[in-house]
Amino acid sequence: MNNTAQKLETATPLDTSCYAAVTDAIRKEASRILTDGTVTAVVGYKAGRRAGTTMPAIVTDPAKATELIFSPACVNNLALYLTKAKKDVVKKGRVAIVAKGCDMRALAGLMGESQLKREEIFIIGVVCAGVKGSGAVNGEPLTTGNLARKCRECTVHTPEGADLTAGTLPSLPELTPVEAEEMARLDAMTPAERWAFWKEQFSRCVRCMACRQVCPFCYCEQCLCDKNRPQAVESTPRPAGNMAWHIVRAMHLAGRCAGCAECERVCPMDIPLNLLNRKMALEMKELYGFEAGLTPVEKGPLAEYKDNDDQSFIK
Amino acid sequence: MHAEKQKHDFEPKIVAFVCTWCTYAGADLAGTSRMQYPSNVRVLKFPCTGRIDPVFILRAFQRGADGVLVSGCHPGDCHYMAGNLHARRRFAAFRGLLDFVGVDLNRLQFSWVSAAEGGKWVDVVTELTERIRAMGPMEEFKALETEECWSGALATPELQEAYKAI
Repeated sequence: MNNTAQKLETATPLDTSCYAAVTDAIRKEASRILTDGTVTAVVGYKAGRRAGTTMPAIVTDPAKATELIFSPACVNNLALYLTKAKKDVVKKGRVAIVAKGCDMRALAGLMGESQLKREEIFIIGVVCAGVKGSGAVNGEPLTTGNLARKCRECTVHTPEGADLTAGTLPSLPELTPVEAEEMARLDAMTPAERWAFWKEQFSRCVRCMACRQVCPFCYCEQCLCDKNRPQAVESTPRPAGNMAWHIVRAMHLAGRCAGCAECERVCPMDIPLNLLNRKMALEMKELYGFEAGLTPVEKGPLAEYKDNDDQSFIK
Repeated sequence: MHAEKQKHDFEPKIVAFVCTWCTYAGADLAGTSRMQYPSNVRVLKFPCTGRIDPVFILRAFQRGADGVLVSGCHPGDCHYMAGNLHARRRFAAFRGLLDFVGVDLNRLQFSWVSAAEGGKWVDVVTELTERIRAMGPMEEFKALETEECWSGALATPELQEAYKAI
């Protein structure tokens, strides 16, 4: 059920031919825009120290643009590096960013919240056939078995609205929506069963806060959950605080979350956090017709109201 | 003129988060009009329903509330123009989330009670109290509080035995 344990029986290799073309296009574009001064830095991926891995890289020298790559191991959502929480990481000036479709949704969300200005960034959109899930072995090729759960239901393989879109999409097989099935399974449960499920999941939480640190939308300078006078959420990894933290996290991301599932990827205890985000996204769609997309919206669903909003639950 | 006080096995603790302009005044009206309503409800006054954070509700449950009532001005009557309309959206979303993690939504009640509706306040509180009395105590969050908590386990039979022996 969790990411690591999930190995599907029939793992067929996926067509990864597009990644090389994307890499070439990123390098060429990065070199061009760094040379002509369009941008001062490019936030992208470079090869990691171990074969088959990648890590985020900030390139400021056009000669080093050849270091940039794109591969199925490029799992990170780089939008995080453009938020105010990371303002010391990237130096001032217009910055280019390599963004998959899901990352571009996060960029659009940040623009909607006035954290970024479109004219201050240069988006190198990449065509992405999917990235590896957290259980994948370094160096093994991308298959239907080790594909990230979010990529099985991706709707933004080819991002729109970027300054440049690198690569062309190969034909992709139809995949079973594992996460949607899990959502349906939870929805069919009784409240008591759901409580038992989440209690078990959250009991593993060690409160490392990786889910918060990796989230592009958790850019608050002081988190409510770090405050202790008064303390809203207990900060020790005990069941009560864990439950409260995950409820608060999901609530604060409601109507904002871009669905990049980074929280779930970085979770060392394999808690299926994206299920909570998906639930909130579904609620927002059902109640207010809002869906996180590639175009920035000035006000999210919880920042505005309509006179005829549903109030059937209020007496 | 007090109605016969009934004895119950279980008296639920209910926390009411109310807005100062409407529901608090409504509850006040119920009081000054000598209307009877269950004393199980603990009223907490807020400037506006928009000030009531979902965290407060969680905290109330964690600290032993069996039910929570959130009440404020009717739409259009907000002292701050739109606080209750923002709250309406927020709580609609929060209800969905609580349901998803498995909290019984019957324990959480939202209502609009204006300053003139002392009677409605009495109805809302009475109905919620009776409903929660029938449901019994809220154990889920309390269990989380005491789990893995050394102080929570101090009342085990073994320890009781040991204390007596001292």
